[in-house]
Amino acid sequence: MTTAPGSDSAAIQLQGAGKRYDLLQDQAMLLRAVLPFRRPVRREHWALRDVDLAIEPGETVGILGRNGAGKTTLLRMLAGVSRPTEGHVTVRGRVAPLIGVGVGFHPEMTGRENIYVNGMLLGLSRAEVDARFDAIVDFSELHEFIDSPVKFYSSGMFMRLGFAVAVHTEPGVLLVDEVLAVGDIAFQLKCFARMRELQAVGTTILLVSHSMHAIRLLCPRAVLMSHGRVELDGPAESVIARHHELLSDEAGAVTASVAPVQVVERSLHNAAGDAHAVTQDDELVARFRLRFDTDVESPHLFFRILSEDGQLAYSMQTTIGQRHRTFLPGEHADIEVAFSPRLGGGGTYRTSLVVTDTSGAVALVSDEGGLLFYVTPRLGVIGPADLDASIRVDGVVLTEHEPMLLDDEA
Amino acid sequence: MLSLGPEPDPWRAWLADVRAHLPVLDMLARKDFQTRYKRASFGVLWVVAMPVLQAVVLAVVFSRVARFDIGDGSYTAFVMSGIFAWAYLAGTVQVATTAVVDGASLADKVWFPRAVLVLVPVLANLVGLVVSFVLLAALVPVVGDWTGWRILLLVPAAALLVGLTTGLSLVVSALHVYFRDMKFIVQAVLLVALYLTPIIYPADLLGRWSGWLDLNPATGIVELVHTAATGSALPGRALVVSVIATIALLLAGAEAHRRRDRLFVDLL
Repeated sequence: MTTAPGSDSAAIQLQGAGKRYDLLQDQAMLLRAVLPFRRPVRREHWALRDVDLAIEPGETVGILGRNGAGKTTLLRMLAGVSRPTEGHVTVRGRVAPLIGVGVGFHPEMTGRENIYVNGMLLGLSRAEVDARFDAIVDFSELHEFIDSPVKFYSSGMFMRLGFAVAVHTEPGVLLVDEVLAVGDIAFQLKCFARMRELQAVGTTILLVSHSMHAIRLLCPRAVLMSHGRVELDGPAESVIARHHELLSDEAGAVTASVAPVQVVERSLHNAAGDAHAVTQDDELVARFRLRFDTDVESPHLFFRILSEDGQLAYSMQTTIGQRHRTFLPGEHADIEVAFSPRLGGGGTYRTSLVVTDTSGAVALVSDEGGLLFYVTPRLGVIGPADLDASIRVDGVVLTEHEPMLLDDEA
Repeated sequence: MLSLGPEPDPWRAWLADVRAHLPVLDMLARKDFQTRYKRASFGVLWVVAMPVLQAVVLAVVFSRVARFDIGDGSYTAFVMSGIFAWAYLAGTVQVATTAVVDGASLADKVWFPRAVLVLVPVLANLVGLVVSFVLLAALVPVVGDWTGWRILLLVPAAALLVGLTTGLSLVVSALHVYFRDMKFIVQAVLLVALYLTPIIYPADLLGRWSGWLDLNPATGIVELVHTAATGSALPGRALVVSVIATIALLLAGAEAHRRRDRLFVDLL
């Protein structure tokens, strides 16, 4: 599936590509940069460095990475908007970038006019836009608003229009950056369906997303970016696992240093070993090692699971007031939490460990960053709880989902 | 196929890219023109109303109060023709200066040569220029004397004016991405330049200093418009300066855009 850099059939190819930004302390000082009396402080920042990547025509590849890892810079270069500082970028076929909400639209123009401008910017002629106009409006479901200036549109409406135009230009390469997140569920499903159609006709798709679901559903292959470099390039499952492992490592680096109790080690395992991408039925063990800097008598523990946006999904605590032992300064405690991640709709979750005094009232340490892991969703379920619901219509159960296969696996 | 390295696009490729985006330019310019006047009841009338008003005020003030001597021709025709030409240049350059920066939301993620954004006001304001020059031709026999074939000089004058405006706009719009003071510098320069161009007063008024005005690239063009409107003598040296400056600015502006085109976005 992956081709060595240097192949000349690749739809997208980066060879030693890098992008450097010169950050100035202050934009307003740009003029002073050319005047003799005071040179502003310049700081170089490589948003992307030494990136080698080859994506074959028809492949769908997910791009993962934390904010600032270089994902957007990468897409900008592929869209042709930004030039690499070093190395080479080659894209074959018409590129349709879907980067950011409302981009490529003129706020004063109506939806109708913007379809023309956007379509023409994406390489269609006026006649070609004419021919696709009705299909675009139908897809966007914006019939009533098509003659209103887009400055009155909501972000969801912007996204619909942008997506509708982009997919109707019959692009050779579709670049999608996180825009799907703003649509409602029904429209997201429609977008997924449309992207599958594009996959079927051989469109190369690059999908940047923080939604592991989207990546799992659409991309057999994924690329993990970290600090402007390619950290891992391979099957989506293993890249998602590595992504969560990195997130856990980086979260672990920021424990408060003044707390009377320190979390010095933490890890998450399943039967196979280190686990960062797990299934609902996995039996997981989260291990924490605490170090006490003062003496603590019978500490009380909360083990919590937080969703990506910090919402509490689950919490289990030790019995309040139950005496077990006193820890002296310098002593360690090994905590082991066994649990099953039955988190219905799945997604990215993290552990949190809070240690309090015996009464549960005074927090000694709150390990919020925790371990990150991705849970495969149970089909048909949305939301963190799994109530094992079944829906019957006239006695026929309609909730026994068949696993959806990626096209490659079919 | 898109192939990007650290080197700027070659001239041929850049020009082809601009040419390929002319339909988009056409469309954006139309919309720019429409959106500007769509909501106003008098619509397109406002395109020429401002320069006409300005010309009338100046004509009244300076022909009654200051009493400039412009020889045989009418001062009204003189000041009106100069103001019409100036209104196009100043109005366009002012807007074009910030065109690349202001166009960020349209241009940030979709590629097209940024020069297109700069050419939008150049093209959109052309409507106003044409209307005002036609109006001028119609008014010349009313406020002054019919200048015969010379009125046709408005055509080459307009062409040169558009060229100079384009060149200036390309240069300052590129600079404005890097130096955000440019907007204010342009404002200040245009304010001063109005008085360093023989628009309100005839060049002769400066006596032996009048030759210096010829160094202003706008002078030759404005003088050519004067010839068309008042029958004054054809400009010589000033026109040569205008032509050379126009070509130089066009080349410099295009070169600035060609070199920096895919780097502007990094600073927006």
